[in-house]
Amino acid sequence: MLQKIYDWIDERVDVTPIWRDIADHEVPEHVNPAHHFSAFVYCFGGLTFFVVVIQILSGMFLTMYYVPDIENAWKSVYYLQTEVAHAQIVRGMHHWGASVVIVMLFLHTLRVFFQGAYKKPRELNWMVGVLIFFIMLGLGFTGYLLPWDNKAYFATQVGIEIAEQVPLIGPEIKTLLAGDENIVGAQTLTRFFAIHVFFLPAALFALLAVHFLLIRRQGIAGPL
Amino acid sequence: MSEKKQQVSRRQFLNYTLTGVGGFMAAGMLAPMLRMAVDPVLKPSAAGDFVNVGLAVEDITTEPQRVDWLVEQVDGWYESEVSRSAWVFKDENDNIKALSPICKHLGCVVSWEGSEDYPNEFFCPCHDGRYYKDGTNVPNTPPLEPLDEYEQKVENGMLFLGMAKPRGEA
Amino acid sequence: MHRGKGMKFVGDSRISAERKHNIPKDYSEYPGRTEAFWPNFLLKEWLVGSVFLVGFLSLTLAHPSPLEGVADPTDAAYVPLPDWYFLFLYELLKYDFASGPYTLMGIIVIPGLAFGALLLAPFLDNGPGRRPYQRPIAVGMMLLAVTSVIWLTYESAAHVDWETRAEQNKPIHPDEQVNIDTEDPGFAIYESNCLSCHGDDLSGGGAGPSLIGIDRSAEEIATIATDGVGSMPADQFTGSDEELDQLVEFIMSVNEE
Repeated sequence: MLQKIYDWIDERVDVTPIWRDIADHEVPEHVNPAHHFSAFVYCFGGLTFFVVVIQILSGMFLTMYYVPDIENAWKSVYYLQTEVAHAQIVRGMHHWGASVVIVMLFLHTLRVFFQGAYKKPRELNWMVGVLIFFIMLGLGFTGYLLPWDNKAYFATQVGIEIAEQVPLIGPEIKTLLAGDENIVGAQTLTRFFAIHVFFLPAALFALLAVHFLLIRRQGIAGPL
Repeated sequence: MSEKKQQVSRRQFLNYTLTGVGGFMAAGMLAPMLRMAVDPVLKPSAAGDFVNVGLAVEDITTEPQRVDWLVEQVDGWYESEVSRSAWVFKDENDNIKALSPICKHLGCVVSWEGSEDYPNEFFCPCHDGRYYKDGTNVPNTPPLEPLDEYEQKVENGMLFLGMAKPRGEA
Repeated sequence: MHRGKGMKFVGDSRISAERKHNIPKDYSEYPGRTEAFWPNFLLKEWLVGSVFLVGFLSLTLAHPSPLEGVADPTDAAYVPLPDWYFLFLYELLKYDFASGPYTLMGIIVIPGLAFGALLLAPFLDNGPGRRPYQRPIAVGMMLLAVTSVIWLTYESAAHVDWETRAEQNKPIHPDEQVNIDTEDPGFAIYESNCLSCHGDDLSGGGAGPSLIGIDRSAEEIATIATDGVGSMPADQFTGSDEELDQLVEFIMSVNEE
């Protein structure tokens, strides 16, 4: 039955080459933990992507309850933590995933660095990867504010004060981030929400796509 | 058709035009969006809002006294009343000084002669931070900067205070 | 695949009428023990992913995500701390060479150089050798950077009493908050003696713990107010014995509710 449906679609759309193009590539021996146990260091990149998928899914579901408004943000988080079945697990996944993804990215970066895998011709992919790292830190910074608890509020206050000390354009950066000259408040929360949920993920998807395309085009760096 | 004779080939012309039209579409879409995003930066500064703190000038002595007052804080669509406080006194030149009680170390609240061991000083109970009467931090105590000073003006014999600014900016 | 003249299409579309065989390539003739990504290698990756997921979910279940009390901008006694992966930057700003007049060092120069070098690493370390011992400078710098980041994070985190912090900042729903009678004569005494550390709603702050829900007798509270306890210094309370009684009564009354 499934085969029939697949054939029916394939006859009209010719999907086989599309997914074959993703599926059909060789994986060399030196990255395969089945042959060399030490090859587990190559897993960190894949695990980072796995956590990113967890973050995206858990984040999407969290917005079903979350309200980005200073009157209700904390209450909505408190409600989903205490009243909604399994919501504590979902928020826990998002919370701990944010930390784990940084750890995995860190390990992945170190692996690539110490193997010298960023050398010609893979310079561009390294830079894309570092940009992904920055985006992740940005996601962490903006996401931290959203529950609107004391920890969130005061950490953001400090972060914005640090940005203010940048010479010449410091006050402008502060206002641009906070949405107001002096107050970290209602406008800051909506701004951070938009950045956390739309702007940075969009940038992340684009960079991830480039990252993966480059890996497929250039192949995994050879063994040392 | 030889392309060398022509300054701009047909293909080049089409490419330029395509870039131009694309640029127009991008600019038309993004201009209002970007203007909206940077609006807070371009809004005129709301500073200079002085509030009557309910203290007559003749009641201000050389002994610092704590005044509390409420300000209307407008944060976009969210309006709230926030309380502010200050230590107000007259210095030796008879000038009114209004110091913010927020400790410059970690933001606790300092009080005048808050400790019996240190008379004539502002004292922060959190980490024993101390300030001289004019707000200067006592060296070798945790704070690194003098207390902030409020912008002030006097109208009809009453004291009006504005925003707290670091020393030298008020 | 058939190309050029004689190609057959499905209907009037551009889809070729000839089917491609749905068989993966044979990698057995490739040099080395290469295997196909789909499905052989992906299965191994997913096995690793499953183990990882079990660990991750266990972490999630064992440590529910923390939530502190609702943000209170007037809580002047709160000591802010960023998320752990920004702690190293936060700690850096405490050093003399990166604070005060040298703040620019701490917020722009040092992080800018470090992250700039990370971004441009392939161009700074552009020799042909890939092994670590063939590029001692790059590897040395990286080791130095990693050590300092770990050290700074440790330095910053080690000085924080995480349990007390969590205890002081428990989430209390606004509707469940204790009503404090600010007309009580004891509150005025509280305000002038204790408020700057224990907060205007007795819920504690950076310097002092919450006074709500404590299990102490009136005598104990009176002793603590005058003699201090733990990190609280003595002589925080200055006033007559009568005022002390009113203060203790006030604190007890808040706890009774």
